[in-house]
Amino acid sequence: MPDPTPPAHPELVTLKIDGRTCQVPKGTNVLEAARTLGTSISYFCYHPGLSSPAVCRQCLVEVKGQPKLAPSCYTPVAEGMDVLTESEKVVTARAQMLEFTLVNHPVDCPICDKAGECTLQKMYQEWDGSPSRVDTGKVHKPKVVDLGPEIVLDAERCILCTRCIRVCDEVAKEHQLEMAYRGDREQLTVAPGKRLDNPYSLNTVDVCPVGALTSKDFRFAMRAWELYTTPSVCAGCATGCNDEVHHARGKIYRLVPRENEAVNKFWMCDEGRFTYKEIDTARVAAPRIGGETSSMDKALAFAAERLAGVPRELLGVVLNAQATNEDNYFLAKVAKALGITHVYLAGRPPKPERADDVLRSADVNPNTAGARVIANALFGAGKAKGTQQLNADIAGGSVRGLWILGDHVALDDEALAALAKLDVVYQSPHDNFLSDKVSVLLPAASWAEVHGTFTNAKGLVQRVRAAVEPPGEARPHYELVALIAKRLGVDVSVGAGALTAKALFAEMKGAVPEFASASFGREALPIQLRFAASRG
Amino acid sequence: MAETRKMTLGIQDVEDLAPDDDPMPTEPMTLNMGPSHPAMHGTVRIILTVEGETVKDADVQVGYLHRCFEKEAEHATYTQVFPYTDRLNYVSPMLNNVGYALAVEKLLGVAERVPERAQYIRVIVGELSRIADHLTCMSAGAMELGAMTIYFWGIKAREWIWELLEELSGARMTHSYVRVGGLAYDLTPDFIPKVKALFPKIFAVLKDIQDSLWENRIFRDRMDGTGVITQEKALSYGWTGPCLRSTGIDYDVRKAHPYLVYDRFDFDVPVGSKGDNFDRYIVRMDEARQSIRILEQAFAQIPEGPVCLDDPRIILPPKQAVYNSIEGMISHFKIIVDGVKIPPGEVYSYTEGGNGELGWYIVSDGTGRPYKCRVRPPCFIITNALREMIVNRPIADIVPTFDMMNMIGGECDR
Repeated sequence: MPDPTPPAHPELVTLKIDGRTCQVPKGTNVLEAARTLGTSISYFCYHPGLSSPAVCRQCLVEVKGQPKLAPSCYTPVAEGMDVLTESEKVVTARAQMLEFTLVNHPVDCPICDKAGECTLQKMYQEWDGSPSRVDTGKVHKPKVVDLGPEIVLDAERCILCTRCIRVCDEVAKEHQLEMAYRGDREQLTVAPGKRLDNPYSLNTVDVCPVGALTSKDFRFAMRAWELYTTPSVCAGCATGCNDEVHHARGKIYRLVPRENEAVNKFWMCDEGRFTYKEIDTARVAAPRIGGETSSMDKALAFAAERLAGVPRELLGVVLNAQATNEDNYFLAKVAKALGITHVYLAGRPPKPERADDVLRSADVNPNTAGARVIANALFGAGKAKGTQQLNADIAGGSVRGLWILGDHVALDDEALAALAKLDVVYQSPHDNFLSDKVSVLLPAASWAEVHGTFTNAKGLVQRVRAAVEPPGEARPHYELVALIAKRLGVDVSVGAGALTAKALFAEMKGAVPEFASASFGREALPIQLRFAASRG
Repeated sequence: MAETRKMTLGIQDVEDLAPDDDPMPTEPMTLNMGPSHPAMHGTVRIILTVEGETVKDADVQVGYLHRCFEKEAEHATYTQVFPYTDRLNYVSPMLNNVGYALAVEKLLGVAERVPERAQYIRVIVGELSRIADHLTCMSAGAMELGAMTIYFWGIKAREWIWELLEELSGARMTHSYVRVGGLAYDLTPDFIPKVKALFPKIFAVLKDIQDSLWENRIFRDRMDGTGVITQEKALSYGWTGPCLRSTGIDYDVRKAHPYLVYDRFDFDVPVGSKGDNFDRYIVRMDEARQSIRILEQAFAQIPEGPVCLDDPRIILPPKQAVYNSIEGMISHFKIIVDGVKIPPGEVYSYTEGGNGELGWYIVSDGTGRPYKCRVRPPCFIITNALREMIVNRPIADIVPTFDMMNMIGGECDR
């Protein structure tokens, strides 16, 4: 029986791939059209986020009526096209291309950082599998080439796909890499007078299908297949690039971008990738009272006692753009129940010099938008005050007690000096210039250790997931808030069950209109990379 | 002067022991049998309600040897599951190895391509394991009825077999000898002559056991007519293997659905007639003899040749290629780290294990590890009927009935 004829549509092209009919928008290439049917075609040089040079010849397919095989990444769909992706001719061509690609490839897997997430390994195992027929030596090229501050090149491993050149040209918009020489001597180099130092340079490592470009930070640090991956969101700035946290045995080894067409496409900036390093820097793992380490119980009792001792009209809470929506919402809710009227919004000061029109934003807080809408919804629009007002209020004595969500609050010297005279409860993952000025310091979990949501600059509510356990006695902000609030006699029940980020989110959906249509997202248990099939 | 005591040898007439008109009043008593009871093999607990010597109710509790085999398998590559299968029926690990490999190969669609020599070797090690399994069951069964000597004889013969399997695989019990697509190694050069030399010795042991027990009054009294199960009941419980065959049903996977090269051998399926413990004993005894028949034919037919598939995506390349070519290196790396990739799908594959139909239900999601790896453990299904078989029978019947089911903790509890 012939396939039923689909309705004609001017913008859609109908074609057949392996005998199955599909309809795709005009201008789509055959490789992407096949993907809509769940058929994956092997490729090295193509990348959905980059232009197609069709240099690797790995994606060849048979188009009926054409004498030669066609590169599917470079062939736009045409009406009535009949494509075969796994005919004998195509499969042979794939195996032969792999044999050719492997002729000069070094036997480096045991010392190569890409091993386990390497596209070349994957393609060979999937489409070739035949032993080597070459009995001459391999062409040698430079092994440890310093290309820039973050990247090392091994030219022997390079399969000349040019993805890295295109990432620099098309994403970072800087021409820093080039091919030099010809034939089997061809190799990747930096462009004359340039270094690979653009702020998106580590994307070249992600797109490299082999271990030619390696990150100095991750080089020889961990075998990729032993890592576990947890999907999360970068906390480095207000863009909220989607990322994967790669970790093993409670330690984070790297952050890599995760595809999201609406936010970061396939990319992420170098600075964002290194935000994981802050997590373990100057970390607070135990509570402190007046600078002295204390037990959690004692610290909580002390915190509640100090806050209770301040008249409510002189008490203030500081929400933070570094903390999740759930943390901010819960503190705001408790503050409202206590009748507190001084509400401030804090965060890291903006860095205008880092902003560009690619991904990097001047606002280096992940949740400025979220903290603001929560404060507006609970206390009225514009009622929450900024850090400037906070400085003035502390120095001027209009607040006598503060309950602060950490970590960063931009206080000036005058306010800092005055702070020591106030009753201050400070919840923070990190030690900083505030920690010895406050009455009580409570250890909070960082963004990599909690479940919750961040709202990015565009207003998208995105999910962060706990990848590792918090150190020592550190726990999520909202738990600390609940423990203190209970001692202050505030009803902290959220929903019917236990106090979780999910329950807080569900309540917040009703209380804050901006969250009404947002969803908390699914739970994602960490998967070991060797089984995740997401890379390589 | 001390009083002379009169002693009588032997028991008195049964009539003398008959209860008088006013029997001692009894009431139900709860007794805990196992898990630390020598006849419960350390892994089963039965809470008995007894009235006098009669079991009125029994709560059979298995699971003391649960090791999360199925969950564990989901976190291992297909090859890494082999050591876990060794620990299912740990008396005949080779049969588990073979059954698991066949299931994975069926899912992979390469079952027919496995070289003939490998198929013959799988039959050989499997049948050796079956003899070891039956010897264990028979000798332990006799021992628990008091015949210690039988135990030593049977275990001695089992050890001869295990020594040979150790020579072959490097491990006495946990062989892990089979691989997806073939075997870890070929037979050792003098393996076949060594096994052949064992046959007369094993036959002699079997004859000794038979001669000592078949006419033995104590043994027959405790085995004949105890633990009886009807054909219908056995089928309704889902029994398979020697226990089912003791009722007279001749279902043997090797005959009914031949796998490997079993259709090339001439062997009989022994069946019982009454479905009691003694039937189960003689079925096992005869099956051991039939296994030797199969082995003799296998030795006559086994061809030369490779013992592994010729497929670099399934079988590790030779070390020469691994260290000297990128092609070999990648194959080795991917098979070790990612595992053998199996196309998405599900499979049920079944073989004749020591206790019956050893079934494997494996689901693949296309990665190198099973998405689900379920075992149909034959003795778990057989143990389901234990309660019904011991209720309203004397306590003493529990021991031979439980023995002849051959409940193996590793397999039952997984």
